[in-house]
Amino acid sequence: MSKSTGVDSRPVSVSDVSTPRAELFARVLDPASRANPYPIYAALRSEPVSRQSDGTWVVSGFDEIAALLHDPRISSDLRNAGQPAGGQSLIMQDPPNHDRLRAAVMGRFTPEVVESLRQGVHDLVAGLLDAAGPGTRLDLVEEIAYPLPVSVICKLLGIPPQDEARFHGWADTLARTLDLDPTMSREEQDAIDHAFTELHHYLENLVADRAEHRGDDLVSGLLTGGDHGEPLRGEELLITVRLLLIAGHETTVNLITNGMLTLLRHPDILERFRHEPDLVVPMVEELVRYEPSVQFRYRAALADIEIAGTTIPRGSVVVLLLAAGSRDPGHFTDPDRFVPDRLPNEHFGFGGGIHYCIGAPLARMEAQIVLPELVRRLVNPRLTMDPPPYRPTAALRGPRHLWVEVDGVRP
Amino acid sequence: MRVMVDLARCQSYGQCVFAAPEIFEISGREVLEYDSAPSDEWRLHLERARAACPVQAITIGPAAGPGKDDGQPSTVRPAADSMGVLR
Repeated sequence: MSKSTGVDSRPVSVSDVSTPRAELFARVLDPASRANPYPIYAALRSEPVSRQSDGTWVVSGFDEIAALLHDPRISSDLRNAGQPAGGQSLIMQDPPNHDRLRAAVMGRFTPEVVESLRQGVHDLVAGLLDAAGPGTRLDLVEEIAYPLPVSVICKLLGIPPQDEARFHGWADTLARTLDLDPTMSREEQDAIDHAFTELHHYLENLVADRAEHRGDDLVSGLLTGGDHGEPLRGEELLITVRLLLIAGHETTVNLITNGMLTLLRHPDILERFRHEPDLVVPMVEELVRYEPSVQFRYRAALADIEIAGTTIPRGSVVVLLLAAGSRDPGHFTDPDRFVPDRLPNEHFGFGGGIHYCIGAPLARMEAQIVLPELVRRLVNPRLTMDPPPYRPTAALRGPRHLWVEVDGVRP
Repeated sequence: MRVMVDLARCQSYGQCVFAAPEIFEISGREVLEYDSAPSDEWRLHLERARAACPVQAITIGPAAGPGKDDGQPSTVRPAADSMGVLR
């Protein structure tokens, strides 16, 4: 049921101290923890670099995460920790290959390109809210938070609107690959393989088509190359486009959804925001600190790394628990409180170091446009289920649905 | 308005350039340059840049006192040893 106070009183079924410290990360992966993993993070943080019983090392303190994000002995290629080869996109690679691929994307994902999408975002938001208009019960995920970023990333990549729907299932399924979850079922693994194959075929055709008919989209741009980036070709181009597509799907959906969920749980802040729409600028940063779409990332230790009084052995899987670092009381005052104008706010909501989120400027722009419009146009919105149902992925965390009741939708 | 960037903190993530291209520029591939006295019309863009900075290196101050703000934009160029790496 929706609540009427700004106090975070969600039921905490995970804070019992009976879980051995070395089993805490397994509980993070457990879908039962998805609605509120933060008490587990707090428990982990009491030992900021913690060895888990499966040999994984979980890093949950702000300073320790910051140090490892900038440590060349930390690799994003998990084959260095005995894991199977992943998609080998640039987020799974180290310099110099990572830098080359990133430069190719950044050379084409410029401030001008992001800015050129702004009016389209305004128009999309208006259209989605118009379409939601007659109802009094909305699923903010299906009706707003999902279609907006998907339309934007498809427009950016030059994917025809009629093909957008096909990505819904693929992206949903592939997000799960971000958890190294040993309990994943055979069926789930098969579904992932199937989605990979289908998406791969689709993108092969897209790239082949764009090689013949260049446009002003990002795929054409990557084929052409830019001032600082060489052209991408073949498998590398395909994998890079796939990364942008998936990253552009899930993370911004969750940012918008987590944003509305957080506002609806804090009616006093919602009311303030209604009268002070520019509050959205610092508030989006606070949202990605307080309820980040990306909760953690895996890394591999390339050497023995001494940190926080312990040693992570070479070859270990390392979990950078970004969401725990962003709530470290050693770095943030009152970290479990949602403070929309928190300043300074040096968080890990978009990661840090050489892998800092490429899409952050676009995500910020979308959230800064859609959240004030939702708050302006939805009349008396109430949560009908709190906590809402969540998607299974722990690393990429967000509600599957966010049902609200409204008294109407203003024009 | 006055703007100050702590160039000892700046790591050239470039988020400010996306938020306020009228004020911030990364020339070549690594060096941040910025207008330390931008026009008030860019206030919202500047606030976006300050909020977005991953290392919170941007400070917004009031306009300089009488006689100090001559309306001429001044561009601050960092010393070579404070260059960051473009992320």
